[in-house]
Amino acid sequence: MIITFSILSAIAVISALLAVRLRNLVHATLTLMAFFVALAGLFILLMAEFLAAVQILVYVGAVGILILFAIMLTQQVTGNVKEHIEAHGALWGLAGATAVLLTLLLPAILKTALPLQPVVETIDPSVRALGLNLMAPYTIALQVIALLLTAALLGAVVIAISPEKSEEEKKS
Amino acid sequence: MTPINPDQLIVQLTQWALSFLDSYPLVAVLVAILLSTVPLIAVFPGCFAITTWLERKGLARIQNRIGPNRTGPLGILQPAADGIKMLLKEDIVPKTSDRLAHFLAPVVLMVPAFTILSVLPFNRNMIPAAVDTGVILFFALGSVSTLAVFMAGWSSRNKYSLLGGMRAIAQMVSYELPLVLSGVTVIMMTGSLDTTKIVAQQQLSEWIQSSNAGLQCLGQIIGWNVFTPWGFAGFLIFFVASLAEINRCPFDLPEADSEIVAGHLTEYSGFKYALFFMSEYVSAFAINGLSTTLFLGGWSGPNIRPPWSDDPNALLIPGFVWFFAKMFALMLVMIWIRGTLPRLRVDHLMGFAWKFLLPLAIMNIFVGGFYYYAPRWHGIPVVGWPIGFLVMYLSYECIGRLNRGPKTAQRVYHYAS
Repeated sequence: MIITFSILSAIAVISALLAVRLRNLVHATLTLMAFFVALAGLFILLMAEFLAAVQILVYVGAVGILILFAIMLTQQVTGNVKEHIEAHGALWGLAGATAVLLTLLLPAILKTALPLQPVVETIDPSVRALGLNLMAPYTIALQVIALLLTAALLGAVVIAISPEKSEEEKKS
Repeated sequence: MTPINPDQLIVQLTQWALSFLDSYPLVAVLVAILLSTVPLIAVFPGCFAITTWLERKGLARIQNRIGPNRTGPLGILQPAADGIKMLLKEDIVPKTSDRLAHFLAPVVLMVPAFTILSVLPFNRNMIPAAVDTGVILFFALGSVSTLAVFMAGWSSRNKYSLLGGMRAIAQMVSYELPLVLSGVTVIMMTGSLDTTKIVAQQQLSEWIQSSNAGLQCLGQIIGWNVFTPWGFAGFLIFFVASLAEINRCPFDLPEADSEIVAGHLTEYSGFKYALFFMSEYVSAFAINGLSTTLFLGGWSGPNIRPPWSDDPNALLIPGFVWFFAKMFALMLVMIWIRGTLPRLRVDHLMGFAWKFLLPLAIMNIFVGGFYYYAPRWHGIPVVGWPIGFLVMYLSYECIGRLNRGPKTAQRVYHYAS
């Protein structure tokens, strides 16, 4: 278990670093997807196979493909190799980011009793429980998200319809 | 000694073989893993070889040709000849290509194609990975193939390849929606994402366990989801969407050879091309296996209890025979469609997915819900069936009519009458 965890985490960290560092945008996206897959593996390790499946379905199947689509619409896929972004005080930025992350995560880390694995194995990971939770206590949240997504969808359609084209159609 | 049950023979043999390893649990786990994965890796490439031959012969028949006839009787050894040719061919990689992505693309396509086979129940107790969320895992891993096609198209540094890759993404993402939504109806009616439960729900266990042979046969067939209005519509939507999902004719735009050479496959040769070819067929098998499981009763078929057995669940013909029979029947329909239908245009393809299949699939979900709650008479859906069928038919007609483009005036010839 711990070996699998280490391998998956190593893949996740390395691919996440590569996703940030690589100059080629498509390569960066592909490594990002490798990161998503490693994360799905970690979910399976936590007995959350539904979450793993959704992770792959949503992030690799949809979000990653969307990013690739967006990249294909840009002019330059590969950044200029010689050109380097002048990063003054990169260390300060790193420290700041770490501090923010730690303040967010520390309460959770301090509260949890490690190791988690025995606890995980007692949890009922069934989809039924998840569905019942979504239907009973979290219905309003689900509805709000659905409404938001529908609004976003309609907004996209409105943006996609160009007003000039509709006038042309009226003429013809 | 328990009486032999032909249906469960392989399962019993496996358990018998594993019983020797009881004292070595670690070895037993490894052997159990091998026993469930090796047959998949052995059987499906074999099926692929048979199907390529069937496809060549079938297409030749449709096009009034003879087809392969030089290699063995009826050309049956043609797949072997093809395989040797592919293996011996030079592996050409374009100079400007992205070597790593170019190399990884067939692998990324191949791994999910074989992995999704493991959630299909081939027979009772014969499922390589009995996971709780089989169907969603299938769709999730299936969606990775889009990425592989894009990788192949982009890494080749070829305009045709890139165009093919972009077409593939647009098509596969669009058709995934009706595919999943038509499957959702079945999941909703079964109340489970587990493929074994979906098959079990399509069998009438009371009839199967009765002593009448005719009832036993009928009990294995009458409950198939395809015989309900939502199941019938869902099956058709699922089948059409799956054709597009695996880039088969008439939706083979990503590799349309009359426009963009061979799409994302243009720069592949030798064994990598063979891998692409094989993964395409294996995913075709997988998706046909899933539509068999969801709509055609999985491994259940006209089957009776063996006369010597008292076990109410024993069957004379092994269930996987029916499973593979149905899978191959769907494969033959795909070959038939490939031989007879012309390729769609890109805008027609998109319009068909978004304006026709998607609303129909959403309508199907409502019909499924109505069917579930409609009053029944002695368990027979006397209200749900006719009304559900009527609603599905009317929505098919309405959506079809709404999709009809503006009527073009008849062309008038001024000088050539």
